[in-house]
Amino acid sequence: MDGQAKQGSQGGESDMECSDTECFDDYDYYNNDDNEIEQIDPKKTDIEYFSCESLNEEQVERLLNETVELLSNNLQITPSSAKVLLHSHEWDVPAIVRNYKENVSNIRIRTNSAIVPQSQICFRYITCSVCVTTQNSDKFFSLSCSHSFCKDCWMTHFEVQINQGISTGISCMARDCGVLAPEDFVLKHLARTNLREKYQQFTFQDYVKSHPCLRFCPGPNCSIVIYSKEIKAKKAFCSYCKTSFCFKCGIDYHAPTECIIIKKWLTKCADDSETANYISAHTKDCPKCNICIEKNGGCNHMQCYSCKHDFCWMCMGDWKTHGSEYYECSRYRENPNVAYESAHAQAREALKKYLHYYERWENHSKSLKLEEQTLTKLKTRINQKVMSGLGTWIDWQYLFTAAELLAKCRYTLQYTYPYAYYMDPGPRKELFEYQQAQLEAEIENLSWKVERAETTDRGDLENQMDIAEKRRTTLLKDFLDV
Amino acid sequence: MANIAAQRIKREFKEVIKSEEVAKCAIRVELLNDTFTELKGEIAGPPDTPYEGGTFVLEIKVPETYPFNPPKVRFVTKIWHPNISSVTGAICLDILKDQWAAAMTLRTVLLSLQALLSAAEPDDPQDAVVAKQYKENNEMFQITARHWTNVYAGGPNINKDCDDKIRRLADMGIEEHQARVALSSYDWELERATEQLFS
Ligand SMILES: [Zn+2]
Ligand SMILES: [Zn+2]
Ligand SMILES: [Zn+2]
Ligand SMILES: [Zn+2]
Repeated sequence: MDGQAKQGSQGGESDMECSDTECFDDYDYYNNDDNEIEQIDPKKTDIEYFSCESLNEEQVERLLNETVELLSNNLQITPSSAKVLLHSHEWDVPAIVRNYKENVSNIRIRTNSAIVPQSQICFRYITCSVCVTTQNSDKFFSLSCSHSFCKDCWMTHFEVQINQGISTGISCMARDCGVLAPEDFVLKHLARTNLREKYQQFTFQDYVKSHPCLRFCPGPNCSIVIYSKEIKAKKAFCSYCKTSFCFKCGIDYHAPTECIIIKKWLTKCADDSETANYISAHTKDCPKCNICIEKNGGCNHMQCYSCKHDFCWMCMGDWKTHGSEYYECSRYRENPNVAYESAHAQAREALKKYLHYYERWENHSKSLKLEEQTLTKLKTRINQKVMSGLGTWIDWQYLFTAAELLAKCRYTLQYTYPYAYYMDPGPRKELFEYQQAQLEAEIENLSWKVERAETTDRGDLENQMDIAEKRRTTLLKDFLDV
Repeated sequence: MANIAAQRIKREFKEVIKSEEVAKCAIRVELLNDTFTELKGEIAGPPDTPYEGGTFVLEIKVPETYPFNPPKVRFVTKIWHPNISSVTGAICLDILKDQWAAAMTLRTVLLSLQALLSAAEPDDPQDAVVAKQYKENNEMFQITARHWTNVYAGGPNINKDCDDKIRRLADMGIEEHQARVALSSYDWELERATEQLFS
């Protein structure tokens, strides 16, 4: 009995007396309990943890219907009317119920449909104001607003609207009447099966789009809907087509950058694409012997094939100074006197700053693609090793894990650049850029080791993986705000 | 469907003819063909507006899906108004787009257009140049709209100043309407209009 009572108060639904301190004690008690059985909450250990489900159409239908049923039972209205309400109120049942109780008549006018013929007592002839034909009153129907029209006109109205892609937004035909036609009313008047199907397809899409916890998977030709209770800028993942995206804004996942910032950045990049085009070159000259070098891997630690000079592809600096405390490649040095310069000089400085960040953003995006090719080459190489008796596929599996981790780290690194670009100068930006530089250095080390896997031993590579991932999570823990 | 459209137009035609607005010479419709797909509409410029005294001709095209879709309406008479294109006569009015309802009629449309002439909605413009003038230099807008009403819609108010400036541009070889558009767009400043015309 005691234990049950405690659970009740924890759930927050019990009215029983419970002082603050008592509840706190309870909380502590349960917490300790958790620690004893070593249940690790993934939300605490993994800052990027996001729980979402991939649902097929049937499962979504079921989920929506449960809510519809809940509301229609609660308010004693038809499921179709409940759907109209839910669709226009973001599926927020408590809010609708509250609203309804405050203003019963209002809501009823907006949703309930009277599908009964207007005159039930005696038949009479009336003229439909849409088609101007006179017909028996039993051919007339109206929504809850009582504006009645003949059944042929309703049918044509629905056909025309559906052919224009409108479904949940179909309203009454009367002037200035915004009463929406519920599903059952529309379906009752639609004769053609293909239109009924089209209508149901459109309403389904509208329902999903109006539901805050549902997102259509953006993967090509994928019909999966992703469900999450938490509406956050986290990485949603379709378990069917493996596409991932930001659950909040729907575009490519972009931690640590925020949704509005990444949108701003992408728009800027699209607008300035011509200015930035010149840097897309695949070749540069070795800073020591000036021989032309083509970049064909993802790693930015370059070694001149001729003079063996090690340098950084991004800043063309000596690689020896990279990875040390003095790693400055990712940081942009603002001109402190820019405020006193001419407008022209300021514009040039602004462009220089943008290009610095854009170059690095673009370069890591390219590196990601090149590293994908490296992975294919890796497979061939491992295959040869296995064929010649050097271990089994399983022995080499760690290389793939390393390549996967490399991609994950570089992806985050790519998205640190828009973040830094929009940051105000100050100690926080300095800390960010310090961590960014650390991450960048470890990623290039990892990339270097993955590309030359045959000369490194497994322990060294695994150690490098560990360091890179630690740098990545440290940066996210300090700067990811979701 | 086409059958309903014709039936409706036939009926509506009578409705407008019988209406009291016709008696007051405020609105008119005329059939242009016997398939009821093309009509000519006319509205009188409402009193106490720069359009007062003018008669505005409208082109009305009835789609096959009428009245489930709105008629396509455009001003034939050139008009200076924020919600009507001074170039094409295209109209920005909600009931001609998504706020159309099948129970509305041509009479509703014509009366709504007349109401639009009385109360422009510059925040939902069709003609950005006119809307800007309406908001930033309303006095100049009134002068321009009245002048256009006089020239194109038979309005009674002659503006000598406007006519003079147009004549001066015409003397330089500029076509009259082109000159009027340039002057109207630059608040009747001769230099700026000339500059734009010759640049
Ligand atoms: Zn109605
Ligand atoms: Zn009818
Ligand atoms: Zn998918
Ligand atoms: Zn986002």
